[in-house]
Amino acid sequence: MKSQILSILFFLGCITMAAQSGTITGSVTDSSNNDLLPGVNVVVKNTTNGTNTDFNGNFSLNNVSNGDVLVFSFIGYNTLELKVSSSFNISVSLDPDIEALEEVVLLGYVSQKAANISGAVSTVDGEAVEKLKPVRVEDALQGQSGLNVISSGTPGAKPTVLIRGISSYSGNDPLVIVDGVNLTLDDMNSLDPSNIESISVLKDASTTALYGVKGGNGVIVITTKSGKRNQETQFNFDSSYAQQSVEKTIAVLNATEYAAILNEASVASGGNLIYPDFSNFGNGTDWQKEVFRDDAPLVTNTFSARGGSEKASYYFSAGHTSQEGVLYGEDKSYFDRFSFTANIDADLTDKLNIKAYNTYANIKGSNLGDVLFNALNMSPTTPVYDISGNFGTDSKITQEVKNPLAQISNSYNEGNTNKITGKLELEYELFKDFKITSRLGYNYVSAVGKSFNPLVFYGANHNQTNSNADGTPIVTVDSETGEETSTHSRVSETTNTWFRYNYELLGNYNFSIDNEHNFSLFAGFAISKNTGEGLGGTAVDIPFNSWKFADISAATGDQKYSTTSSSYYVGRKVSFFARAEYDYNEKYLASFSLRRDGSTSFGENNKFAYFPSASLGWVITNEDFFNSSTINFLKIRASYGLVGNDNVSPQFGTISTFPKYTFGNTIAAGSTLYSIPNADVSWENQGQANVGFDLRMFDSSLSLSFDYFEKSTDDLLFNPTLSLYLGTPVYPTANIGSTETTGFDVSLGYSKDFNDKISFNTSVSFTSSDNLVTAINNGDKYIWGAGYGIPFKNLVQFREGDSPGIFWGYKTDGIFQNYDEVAAHATQDNAQPGDIRFVDVDGNGKIDAEDRTKIGDPFADYTIGWNLNLNVHNFDLSVFTYGSFGNDVYRAYERNLNYTNRFARALDRWTGEGTSTVEPRATFVDGNNNSRASDRYVEDGSFIKIKNVQLGYNFNLNENSVFDSVRLYLQGKNLLTITDYSGYDPEMSGGVLGSGIDYGNYPTPRIVSVGLNVKF
Amino acid sequence: MKNIYKLLFVTILSFSVISCDDYVDYDPSETYTIVADDYFTSSSDYESALVGVYDVTQWILYNVMIGEIASDNSLAGGESATDVIGLQKIDDMLHDPENDQLTSIWQFMYEGVNRANYLFENKDKLDFTRKDELYGEVHFLRAFFYFELVKIFGDVPLFTNSRLTAIDSGTLQRSSASDVYAQIESDLNAAIAALPAEKSVNGRATSFTAHALLGKVYLYQDKFDQAAAILDPLIGAYGLPERPGSVFLKSGENGAESVYEIQHTKDSNWWAWDYVPQGTEGNFAVIHHGIRGYVGDVYQSGWSFNVPTQDLVDAFPAGDKRKDVSVLDIVKWADDTGAEYGEGYEHTGYFNHKYIPRQGESSAQQELNFGTNYRAIRYADVLLMAAEANNRKSSPDTQAAQNYLNEVRKRAFGNESNASTSTGVTLTQEIWDERRLELAGEGHRFFDLVRTGQASTVLQSIGFQAGKHEVFPIPQKEIDISNLTQNNGY
Repeated sequence: MKSQILSILFFLGCITMAAQSGTITGSVTDSSNNDLLPGVNVVVKNTTNGTNTDFNGNFSLNNVSNGDVLVFSFIGYNTLELKVSSSFNISVSLDPDIEALEEVVLLGYVSQKAANISGAVSTVDGEAVEKLKPVRVEDALQGQSGLNVISSGTPGAKPTVLIRGISSYSGNDPLVIVDGVNLTLDDMNSLDPSNIESISVLKDASTTALYGVKGGNGVIVITTKSGKRNQETQFNFDSSYAQQSVEKTIAVLNATEYAAILNEASVASGGNLIYPDFSNFGNGTDWQKEVFRDDAPLVTNTFSARGGSEKASYYFSAGHTSQEGVLYGEDKSYFDRFSFTANIDADLTDKLNIKAYNTYANIKGSNLGDVLFNALNMSPTTPVYDISGNFGTDSKITQEVKNPLAQISNSYNEGNTNKITGKLELEYELFKDFKITSRLGYNYVSAVGKSFNPLVFYGANHNQTNSNADGTPIVTVDSETGEETSTHSRVSETTNTWFRYNYELLGNYNFSIDNEHNFSLFAGFAISKNTGEGLGGTAVDIPFNSWKFADISAATGDQKYSTTSSSYYVGRKVSFFARAEYDYNEKYLASFSLRRDGSTSFGENNKFAYFPSASLGWVITNEDFFNSSTINFLKIRASYGLVGNDNVSPQFGTISTFPKYTFGNTIAAGSTLYSIPNADVSWENQGQANVGFDLRMFDSSLSLSFDYFEKSTDDLLFNPTLSLYLGTPVYPTANIGSTETTGFDVSLGYSKDFNDKISFNTSVSFTSSDNLVTAINNGDKYIWGAGYGIPFKNLVQFREGDSPGIFWGYKTDGIFQNYDEVAAHATQDNAQPGDIRFVDVDGNGKIDAEDRTKIGDPFADYTIGWNLNLNVHNFDLSVFTYGSFGNDVYRAYERNLNYTNRFARALDRWTGEGTSTVEPRATFVDGNNNSRASDRYVEDGSFIKIKNVQLGYNFNLNENSVFDSVRLYLQGKNLLTITDYSGYDPEMSGGVLGSGIDYGNYPTPRIVSVGLNVKF
Repeated sequence: MKNIYKLLFVTILSFSVISCDDYVDYDPSETYTIVADDYFTSSSDYESALVGVYDVTQWILYNVMIGEIASDNSLAGGESATDVIGLQKIDDMLHDPENDQLTSIWQFMYEGVNRANYLFENKDKLDFTRKDELYGEVHFLRAFFYFELVKIFGDVPLFTNSRLTAIDSGTLQRSSASDVYAQIESDLNAAIAALPAEKSVNGRATSFTAHALLGKVYLYQDKFDQAAAILDPLIGAYGLPERPGSVFLKSGENGAESVYEIQHTKDSNWWAWDYVPQGTEGNFAVIHHGIRGYVGDVYQSGWSFNVPTQDLVDAFPAGDKRKDVSVLDIVKWADDTGAEYGEGYEHTGYFNHKYIPRQGESSAQQELNFGTNYRAIRYADVLLMAAEANNRKSSPDTQAAQNYLNEVRKRAFGNESNASTSTGVTLTQEIWDERRLELAGEGHRFFDLVRTGQASTVLQSIGFQAGKHEVFPIPQKEIDISNLTQNNGY
């Protein structure tokens, strides 16, 4: 049937060829080793006309017509369908069904039978990715054992991905290898998840040490889809449409409550009533309702074709994903991706094979700033629009906080990125089982960005206002000289290009001795180069103050307001590596590897690093003495190795030509020493030990994997805090810290086919890690990370003796109820009844900076992922639930200006002795600094989320249907979140030194979609 | 046999690539980066490194502000009680070693010292025509930075040979203030010897600038004889423009009264918020003094910091024209002109009128580019210093002291009816009081009060503790890293 469609599509109008009938002969081989396959079932599709291959893999079948489809099937191999064309003598090779026969795990440079692996690896297959339909690939890794993936709500934004906890200060992103090409998580925005065949996550050192100085944070190995030999072209079309909305809003004061509390605060500070009569204020403006929409679309369409002939195979795909944000202003916050993939694999000769893989992607996007921060803090008494139809303003709020809808309308930026990623790979079989591979992988990125700061009006006295109410620039005149100065609209443009290539020469030799001692040897050499160039410029005075004309070329302002900047990056590496695997009858397993890395990043005294590893395994179930019908498979394994991290650039003493000074009327160019050199800078050195076991029971329906690991990292790279009397130079990165991480990963799976109509499988993963900073030899034993607010408050610390990235601040102890309590407490400057009582942690009788202590940890103690897949007749259901436990969140979105809005908890504030032990008094003069960084703002962010529910229906197709399969599905993401957190969403990405801080972050939206998948 | 050849081929290939190690050598010029080794090969490198030292003098906004806020002249102000908490604490005499503003003063002034030392470190690399004069300027600037440090913190680490590097971290201890003063005097004397008296261009230090600073340095050590002598050549070399306050207008910059003026310009057109004060060549102090939420003529809206107190306003006697020069009475101004304004924290109704944002005097990102110069040493200051030195030196010259004081008063009142005829301690007190009125808002008051021993009485009501608050605490961070001792009482 399919062939008819094809004929119609491609040969429409041609004269139908007369059907030929005859005998077809041929041979069938195993595609993995070219062995001839006896006993393969060969039938003409939809008939009983069939035969088996003989002992030599040959077959002969009568009464076959031109255009018939032959079906080749054999246990342990993928079934193959082939249309008979003019040739009546064919040779066919079948691909081993890796799932059925022996699951092969891709470890990047090498692949290994799952049963023989003695390291720790998690795998996800393409089908599971398809069920999740993530916008970014990383989201499909959430809930895998050993991984902590923290998603972001911003469309297309990079999530935090931690493999086995946090061992470093600078950069914990794992290395990403896509089809042998070295990439980073930042490149994942260009990968269409529908192209993925499989993902392996390498966790322990025996698997990551082969990546040496890049392996320290684990490795994600992604294989994209390719065609199969002798496979008819299969077309696949998938389309889905979704609407996104937010789950909840945050309780803030309405206009009446706001007015009452402002009056109280003003009077308490000796002022007058702000709103003498607020009886008719009502609820006022609900800003959150004004900014959120519940119909933000997310549309994906992918179209692919895969297949192959005897000598070549191919996979082509085109995909488009378009996601808008859940805030109003569809063109203000979106992610849009086109990608085109062509993966071609061809045998040039019997021994020489070429693979040309190429993906082009175009990514466009824009984002909105702190709109939610404004929606939460803007006064509810301000109308969205004033009587003349302009955006409403509040004359009392003179800084930062503004009408969020005005902000949306004034927000203009756009990024446009083009990426070409791919490889050209030649594989030559030098002699039997000895293959040499020469691979050139490349990644070219060209990113253009533009942002426009128009003239804006947020009220005449707002500090961000730079236009008059009518949108014209504010022109001020020097009363003395008559000189005029004007405000300006401004456009900034950047263009960045990065080019990275890695060339690798690899050799692989497999052999057995006496069919008992199995060896697999591998060695390789690699060089890689990374270059980056950036150019940026700005110009002022955009015609009509309009985004439409926002370009440097159209700007009319004086050149003297323009700026330019440029940047360069060059990095090179040279590496050697080798790995040996050995097994004795698949019973005793061992692997060893060694890598030597040299890098331009390192100081001249430390150019080369060595990273060895070893692992051992014992498959107990393969022992003769082991005889159990319950336990089908049991393997114990252990590994140890060294890996590294090279997040550093060369540390030279550079001269900055940045300083300037004015002599007369001329600005003179100056210079100074800008940075302090460090010729010793080198890699971070991580040792990781892993022990674990894999178990399968009850006809392999139940599986369990368990891993325990210990990592200790020395020579952590970061900038020391040097004596302040050195001035303000940039301090050199140095190797001055260490961390320890321990944890375990568990995954438990169960699958059962009740009958051929009903099947079921479920799996649960458990991931935990315990991270500790054991040393920071930088002088003061801690480093500040992210903070928040105006005035800025420090919050996050990377501190010796604590886990990384903790919140650091004051502990609170209720509210001072009266002056006696204030007097009885340690000296707390300016404290009054109704103010927060802070804890005198160091017991020196004074509340000072030394009393700050750990008040929270944004990273989960453990996470749990639960997958459920159920097939009943034509229905399939998959559910993914994810839980994160023990992660704290810091509410940093509360602005606390006198006239900004307050949060619902302010209704329970202290108004006199005994009225509250939690919420301080309302005042305009917060001498006690109640709003300092303290545990008041820390909440338990533990959550359980139903991340994904997908219900599909496969239509019954009649035999003459043009389609192979038609599946309709409904999907819901983030349908339910169970949490005590009072903000939008306790899940927020942010890196080691900035996670768990809620600045009014974009919540992950709830997504409800309908989709259609058609194969033909 | 064929396979063996192939194996051999692979082996040779493998060894040939081992020689790739130099592939990872790195030269900073690959990314167009100039490194220290490339530098100081021409006189223009020296000139530009000198500009780098002058650059740091533009970062002293907090030095100046605390001189007012810590005194009876002004309150911290700002948006709220927690706005720039470091200034709020200093205002209330509650400051402790964890103070971001004090930390940045410390670090900025040492950046200046290090930039100056970097020139001394490379002094012998090259000879060129202007070398002596150039190093005279470096001596002056290093003295300027050390004086700020010793004035604010007391005993401080002292080093003069070279720019410090990573290995020097944590190796120094504090030197006594007298040693630091000795170095400052030596630097200033070297500057006086090397520099011309006439400035070649506005902004460069001259020998007279060094005289004036040295006079001040002597005064801070109660070395009145030396102070009087060193200031003497300056008398008459400068003048007082007739109209008080004209010196604080744009047209008054670098005028007859200007002895040392830190140059700012609006023409660097700075846009980036995250690198001030270092990045801009504008005066970042100015926006701090602006009227909150201001809509009206002449002035520009700002952040309402450093607001003058009623006590200061009341200190001006009737007829003293300097009151309106020093303080803007916003209520009156609003009544007169119809301007609108908001009230910040600790609103007094007054704003610092000498360094207030004025319309048309900034550009680009307006807050960051006010071109207002900071008048670090004006002739009126020199006259009052000379008056004090002459009145307090071992053989007082009362006549000279009266003359100098009266010259300042004459301009303030526009007549000679307020001329002083006092002598002795009364005259000294009059000079001190005159300094408050003449120099209000310019960052001298707190340090004058400490220097003259008046602080414990004048500032008692705001919490000044004798034996503690004369100096500010060494930043806690520096104590932690460098194991320095802390000042008494902190």
